[in-house]
Amino acid sequence: MKTYQLKTRQICFFFLAFTVVNKLFTLPSLTTSLAKEDLWISSLINLTLDFLTIFALLIVCKRQNLSFLELLEKSFGKMGAKIVIFLYALYFLLKAYMPINEQKSFVELALYINLTTDIYFLPFFALAFFLALKPLKTIGRISDIVWLFTVIGLTLLITLSISNTDFYAVLPIGASGVKKIFSASYVGANWYGEGAYFLFFIGNFKFGKKDGAKILSCYAVGVFIVTAFMIIFYGVFTSIAFRQSFALTEIAKYTTVINNIGRFDYVGILMLLFSNVFALSIPVFFSAKCLDYVFNFNKKWIAPLIVTAILLLTTMYLNEFYATLQKVFSLYLSAFFLIMANVLPLITLFFSRKEKKNEKA
Amino acid sequence: MLMNLFSSLQKNTEKIKEFLTSSDVAFTSVKVGKAKGLLIFIKDVVDKNTIGDLVLRPAEKFKGKPTKSNLLTIFLSPELKTVSDFDTALEEVLSGNAVLMVNGIDIAVSFEVKKFNDRAVTEPPTSVAIKGPREGFVESITVNVSLIRRRIKSTALQFEQLSVGKHSKTTVALCYMKGFADKKLVNKLKRRIEAIDIDAIIDSSYVSKFVSEHKKSLFKQIGNTEKPDVLVSRIIEGRVAIIVDGSPIVLTVPYLLIEDFQSPGDYYASPYSATTARIIRILSVTLSVLLPAVFVAAELFHLQLIPLSFLLTIVNSIQGIPLSPSYEMFFTLMIFEILNEASVRMPKYVGMVVSIVGGLVLGETAVNAGIISPPALMIIALSGICLYTVPELEQIFSFLRFLMLIIAGSLGGYGIIVAFAILLTYLVSFESYGAPLLAPFSPLVKNDLKDGFYRSFLKETSSLPFSLNKRRANKRTAKENFI
Repeated sequence: MKTYQLKTRQICFFFLAFTVVNKLFTLPSLTTSLAKEDLWISSLINLTLDFLTIFALLIVCKRQNLSFLELLEKSFGKMGAKIVIFLYALYFLLKAYMPINEQKSFVELALYINLTTDIYFLPFFALAFFLALKPLKTIGRISDIVWLFTVIGLTLLITLSISNTDFYAVLPIGASGVKKIFSASYVGANWYGEGAYFLFFIGNFKFGKKDGAKILSCYAVGVFIVTAFMIIFYGVFTSIAFRQSFALTEIAKYTTVINNIGRFDYVGILMLLFSNVFALSIPVFFSAKCLDYVFNFNKKWIAPLIVTAILLLTTMYLNEFYATLQKVFSLYLSAFFLIMANVLPLITLFFSRKEKKNEKA
Repeated sequence: MLMNLFSSLQKNTEKIKEFLTSSDVAFTSVKVGKAKGLLIFIKDVVDKNTIGDLVLRPAEKFKGKPTKSNLLTIFLSPELKTVSDFDTALEEVLSGNAVLMVNGIDIAVSFEVKKFNDRAVTEPPTSVAIKGPREGFVESITVNVSLIRRRIKSTALQFEQLSVGKHSKTTVALCYMKGFADKKLVNKLKRRIEAIDIDAIIDSSYVSKFVSEHKKSLFKQIGNTEKPDVLVSRIIEGRVAIIVDGSPIVLTVPYLLIEDFQSPGDYYASPYSATTARIIRILSVTLSVLLPAVFVAAELFHLQLIPLSFLLTIVNSIQGIPLSPSYEMFFTLMIFEILNEASVRMPKYVGMVVSIVGGLVLGETAVNAGIISPPALMIIALSGICLYTVPELEQIFSFLRFLMLIIAGSLGGYGIIVAFAILLTYLVSFESYGAPLLAPFSPLVKNDLKDGFYRSFLKETSSLPFSLNKRRANKRTAKENFI
């Protein structure tokens, strides 16, 4: 009997906890710089793409019970599978890079009032390494708890900031033009791509009746929250939105309640930060697992150490080129991100069909 | 190698005296009908009246010739055992029984006559009940077994006795409900206890160290209780108890972290007040670990977290304090821990003086002398009180409080967040005897939450938690395997 690493409930919580949280830091200002008041449409395009990818993968789950690795091995052989998985190891490594840098800047510039050094951010890599040592079920169990932090943190921040939102600021819809909206979606591709995570979940949970609907509903809630946050973000900052790189610390501070009793919105910010340290560690986790599969290291700590060390060194030494790197990632690597997070999972749909035909034969 | 008893009493006496050289061992000559006998026992651990009634009088009354076949029929005792080798005979004497050897017979008889000075059954000082039973376990395993038997009159209740310790030969009993506890778990525990290689078992905590699956872990893996009512409820839930002779603390396996947040009083009070108390306990422990750390981090790195008026109060109070906020908090916490340690060790009548000197004089004087600030003192006092809402976990969380404080002082708020995340990762992946430590929160077990974060009405809670015994509970309540 197959033992499953995850439960449907944990996947639902995973999407609730981690779909939203890493999109709240620099992404809104980055998207605004291109799409302006239509940032929410750009974001919605990416989210819809991921929604469709997850939907396609749910069809794969319905057809068969194999994990992505088993599916690849069956379709392309061990060597073929290793090539694809190596690409995913690279993808997750690159996917982790920018959000980690973004988090580092957030911690150094917005969270601390005094001059900080790299040491303040170093503990994150300890977490990323430690989490990468654990099996997939740890991710599920973490999701069981962390979703509460995301939901409470977001509820607090949205409640505090909604009163200062000018909802008319996002009107007229589509004023930025289709090209700019899609360009914004394209450059933001690094921050999306939940389909790639789900690709590694297939075959690792028991797919039952209505499970597809449950997973998609939870993802849809995430989509709704991100879209709502984008609208509120633009509604609060409007013309200066593109400058608000770390909007999270600013978005709720204009409410009169804060003036009276202090910055208790930081409770929400810290809760989201707590969820985000896990959200940032997840691509590191998957990158390490993929690398371990490809090279089959005899010690389980080698792959996590390699991935964490690469990220640690590049974060420390390339941080001063942050703006350049952001440009490179947005302009040249977005296509790679879209292929790995959306196109390849969609292709999976085809070889799962092929396998079913073989089974019938 | 086992050496069989001889039929000659003289040879047996010579041999056994080679081993039993201690002055408290009595060798009494007895006449059993027409044969000579020797009764061996340890003077201070037997009931002499019982020896008279069960051994000496029947032996005197018997007029015939004792043989191997009629030897047992001479005596009246309900707990007679025949012994055929020297090792067993020695073991019987050393465990407080009397052994009778008779000339011409190559077996001996062991009588259950032990009488230790047992402490009376009283309320345990570590878990005082406001409502509910006040009985507590004592050091005697027989008394403890009787306290359990009194509460469970079922054929499913099983005790399996083992002897542990090369020299102490301590009796260790596994207690469980047949059909409730996982048989694999019982066997695993039995194997582990049998494999204990130690000279003496002084207390149940010794056994706990040997049966723990993660030897170097900071966190508890074995539950414990001093109260029979608590133990019975745990056995009924499918846990296995380990009772150690000489210890009033009974161990239970598997262990869930939530156990220590569940007070026996919760089940005797209304669900509403029990739920409130439980939430307060969880919040208090979180507060006790994080409050000093968050305060220091806020003072050093995140002043924006503190409301302006409170910030002004703090600024006024820390003026002239020679220590930095982190050292100040660390120093205050150290004083608190020293006072705590001293008050536990000191005799009761001196303890009062320590409270006054430590709590009032030292605190007040330190503030007046400008060594520590009132907010730091207040934070530590609050944190200290909060920790004692769950006394069972005091040591673990006290350590974590120090750790968090050091992290906060050196790395600030982000350090606390990451440390907490590492701790959570560790805890969610921690399993002992197949039970996840953080269940029923992670993995989330909906059915068990009724006795987790909140306390539901008694008839709504399952007597067999899913978190402890997935297979059996599966059949009764849940439909899926839990991950």
